[in-house]
Parts: sequence; C-alpha cells; structure tokens
Amino acid sequence: MISSYTLGIYPRSEELIEATRKHTSNLSSLFQKETKGYITQQKKAKLGYVSDPLLRWDDIFRPFSQLKSVKPAALNRIYEMNTFYRKLSFENGIASSGKIIKSNLAMSLLPKNRAVCMPEPYTFADRHLSSKHKNKDEFVLELAKMLHKEALTLVEAGFKLIQLVGPSIAYNNKINFNLVKEGLDILTRGVKAKTILHFYFGDVSKKIDRLLDLPVSGLGFDTTTTPISAIKKHSFSGKSLAIGLVNSYTTKIENKNKSISEINQIVSKTRPKEVFVSTNFDLEYIPKKFANEKILVLGEIARGVKDV
Amino acid sequence: MSKLFPTQEIGSLKKPSWLLKSVKNPDISNKEKIKARNNAALENIKTLEDLGLDIVYDGEVRRVEMYEEPVRYIKGFEFAGRIRSWDNKYYNKARITGPVNYKKNFHENEFKFVKENTKKEIKVPVTGAYTLADWSYNEYYKSKEELVIALAKKVLRPLIKDLVKLGAKVVQIDEPAGTSHPSEMDIFRESINESVKGVNAKIVVHACFSGNDYKVLAPQMSEIKAQQYTLEFANRDTWNLGSSDKARKGFQVLKLFKEYGFKGEIGIGVTDVHVDDVESPELVRDRILYAAKALGDPTKIYVNPDCGLRTRTRTVAFNKIRSLVQGAELARQRLK
Repeated sequence: MISSYTLGIYPRSEELIEATRKHTSNLSSLFQKETKGYITQQKKAKLGYVSDPLLRWDDIFRPFSQLKSVKPAALNRIYEMNTFYRKLSFENGIASSGKIIKSNLAMSLLPKNRAVCMPEPYTFADRHLSSKHKNKDEFVLELAKMLHKEALTLVEAGFKLIQLVGPSIAYNNKINFNLVKEGLDILTRGVKAKTILHFYFGDVSKKIDRLLDLPVSGLGFDTTTTPISAIKKHSFSGKSLAIGLVNSYTTKIENKNKSISEINQIVSKTRPKEVFVSTNFDLEYIPKKFANEKILVLGEIARGVKDV
Repeated sequence: MSKLFPTQEIGSLKKPSWLLKSVKNPDISNKEKIKARNNAALENIKTLEDLGLDIVYDGEVRRVEMYEEPVRYIKGFEFAGRIRSWDNKYYNKARITGPVNYKKNFHENEFKFVKENTKKEIKVPVTGAYTLADWSYNEYYKSKEELVIALAKKVLRPLIKDLVKLGAKVVQIDEPAGTSHPSEMDIFRESINESVKGVNAKIVVHACFSGNDYKVLAPQMSEIKAQQYTLEFANRDTWNLGSSDKARKGFQVLKLFKEYGFKGEIGIGVTDVHVDDVESPELVRDRILYAAKALGDPTKIYVNPDCGLRTRTRTVAFNKIRSLVQGAELARQRLK
C-alpha cells in the first residue's frame, strides 16, 4: 500500500451550480453539505491525505483576490483548457497576513491527515500581473514570501502535506530554473510539512534532472503529458514521487490492475523515498458523479500497490 | 460586397427575457413556444437590419448554446454533465462514445426563417469540427486528429452542404478553440479544409483570441480554404483615438497576416464583447482605417464585434452595433 491524495478543485454538483446562480437562501448550507460529502468520499476511499474540495474557489488563485493590494483583472484561459481564471493585478505590492488560504478552507470538516493545495511562486507570477515590481524575478520572490507565510499558517493548522502546483513549469518551454528554485527555497524554508511540487498541462520529460534539484520533498507528475517511460529513467532516491495516474480529463474510469502494475514498475525503477498516487490535476474537469468514482478507484489503486 | 467596410454580427445575442420565460414555462404549449421563438428571431433580424448591418442572422436565438445545440443532434455524443467555463458559468460537456455521424440539418428551420424574413445578405454560423472535438471528452477515437477529421467529414460537410442547398451563400465556421492549442494548428487547418470540401459557398472562419495573438494562425491562413476570417482585435486595443501603432496595438497582427501573404478578407472585431462601455463611432473609424492600411487593401475589410454579443445586455449589444455601423460610415467618408 502507498499513500494517495487528490489535487485541487472539485466539481460543483448541478444543484450547487444552480443554487449559486440563483443565490438561494440555502446556498451556504449546500456548500457545507457538498464539502462534507466529498471529504466523506475521500475517507471512504481511504486516501492517505484528505483535502478540502475547494468548492467556493472559482480558480486556484482566486482567494488571493481578497488581499487589499490586489485588483481582479480580465479573464484568461487556463493554459490550453476551455476554462478561464481571473488574472490578479498586484497594484500596491503584496501585503498579506498569511491567512488567506486557511480562511478559505472548511477547517472544521477536515481530518488530521489533511493536505492542502497552493500555487508555487513561479507559476503564480507567470499568470498574474504586477505594476509594483520592477521585474518578474522580484514578483516571484515577493509572492514566495507571501506563500511562505501561508504555508507556515497551514502547518500550524495541522496540514501535513502541501501540494504546490506548478503548471507553468510544465507548460512553458523556457524556464528560469534558478528563479523557480529561489522562489521555492523561500516558500519551503522552515515549513514542517511534506511539500510536493506538481506538474501538469505540459511534458516535463526533458526537465526532470533540473526538477530533482528543487528544494521540495517530492515531485508529482501528470502521466498523460509526461510519459511514464521518461519518469522511469530517473532515480528519485531522497525525493518523494507522486504519480498522477488518475486522469481528471476523461470520464473513463481507470483500470485498477493496470494502474497498480504501472505504479509498481515505476517504483521499482525510480526507488523514491516515498510514493503517492494522485489525480493528475483538479477533478473539476469532470462532472461530480465521475469525480466520486475516480476518488474510489484512486484509493483502490493505492491499496493495491506494493509497499515501498 | 460592393461597398467598403460591410458590417456584420458574429452570431449570438442575449435572448430576450420574455422568450426565456415562455420556453421554460411548462404550461405553455409547444405551438406557442415555436411562435415565441419565431417572434424573437424576427425581433433580432429586424433590429439588426434597423441598426444598419449589411449582413444579418437571427442572433442564434433558437440555439441553447453554440456547443450544446449541435451536439444534441450528432450521433456518437453523450452528455456527461456540466463543466466550468469560468466562475459559476458552466457548459454541458459531452463525451464521444461511438462513431460520430450526421443525423439531420439541425439549423434548417432557423435558416429558412431568416431567409424568408430578410432581404439583407445572410451569414449562417455553424460550430466547427475542431471546437466540437476540443470541448468534448474523446473516449472513442484513437486520437484527437481522427475525431476532428471524422466530425469534419461526417458532420460539418453534410451540414454545410445542406445549408447551401437551402440557399446559404455565406457560412461562418465558428472555432473559438481554433487557436488554443498552438501545436495542433495542422489539425485545425485540415478540419476546415475537410469541412468545406465540395462546398459552393463563401466560407468565413471565426476564431476567438487565445492569448497567442493569432500568431499561430497567420502561417495557416492562406492554406485554409476560407475566404474570410472574423477575428478579435478590440479586446486588447487601446481606447485612444488615432491610427498610430501605439493607439492601435490590438491590430498589429494584421501586418503579420500580410507578411505571410494572406490575400483574403478580414472581419475585424472593433467592439469588445466583454465590457459594457460602448466604443465611440470615432474609435471604430480609427480602428477600421488602421486595419485597412495595415492589411494594404480596404476592400478586404469587413467590420464586426470581436465575438458574439450574448454576454452583454441587449441594450449594450445594440448600442455597440449602432456605434460599429456609424464608425464604418465615418471610415467610408474618410476614404472618399
């Protein structure tokens, strides 16, 4: 058995979509009920780490629009997806108490084995705007400081695992790895929790050597964009490996035995310190009924893999 | 068209609230609902005519939405559920579970109605094969390319041919996803070319702005069998008057089209469909004049909003169209 978790935002049910649209009087209790339902589903699947489904989050960056220094700007496409996020404009610098993420989580519903998701600094800066910072480097590092405060607050609140999502590292051809590293160094400094950096929306086959150098506990891969054959070529000794094998971009449910066999093969080749199986990215790209099925199969796959 | 800078809509308008109340009311008979839809279509056609557009349609008032409408009538699709577009806006996403096939001309009634009720030139919008594939879960075909080409050959081509049989002379293939995957531009090109093979009509391709400023489209334009592209420019242009490069930064890419040897027509988006502020006729004029100069031939410029105006209220949408028509006239006068 290995550990497991899901990543990012979950889909709203039809009922919740309609209630949000009409702003019905029971909206708040409906959000609570649906959040509880997804947490129960993760527990039922016996996932190693349980996450808030982030149902109120319109995109992974949106909670930060609550900062006084931030102005929401135009809608932009999420990489090549048919889904859009709101660009944030940091017009007066970055002033944060470090409690934005925590205050947007259903803390009372989460069990002790809790995980949380946040963007890593390079991706954050890549997708947003700042008129205050002289250049991108400065923006990345300032965001890293802000996210560091967030991470410390989350650890204090009992989070054992922090998923850092870095799709821009995967999507962009040219990456300033020194800047990525510097940002992560600030973010993870003194953070007493596992930090797993996830890549999706692009193939990172040719970047893995550099990624292994980054100051995080582990790396997570979307196996639909980064081939398993490329991951297998590397040694992960000293690093954790999260295998994003459960695909949030198809309603087809994964074949449990085939997935277990693939993970066993990856593990035997890469010899990581610790292994996780996860979704490749946010489950919100499939409707709720399929998301619930995928959560269960994720747990079954994790339980079927040989111990590392 | 003989006049300079012909004006046109892209497609969708917000549905009138009285129509939505009527079609959602279970106590209203189907016959009454059909009548309501006809009235709404007529209202749109007449309003667009009165505003002075040269080329019209019915504001896609009978269609649920540009993806869900065709998918309902194509064999091989099954709706999976709603997926977020942004915030709490969702679309009903389908999965492809078998071979795709054309069942019937699902735009027949609306097209016939428009034809009977206007003397203006008609441009009929249809959702393109690439976008239909891109916005669906492909759970049957081995590759996206295989799915796209199947949709082009088995669905889009017969649909367009049937519309032409009914008298359609201009068909706009709507491809909002067209440029969203830069590495798939060859598939996109072939999807259009396969869709229009053997079609005797003017083909317009509408592609939304996808963040790469159409730079990935430019090299393909001459290879795609389309006579016109209707594209978005206003949403990243400034609101300053004038025809300088600085003022017209949203239209710079037109120079690239010329560099790549594109000789067809461009329907330039002169009004931003994502804001309520209405562009002045003078701003529209300056955008047109800049575009005419950048492309090097004013006879190749058509004038339209960036995209469908359904995200704006009807009042805002019609004000934008009014300004667009007035701006085109100002531009014509300037070139006299």
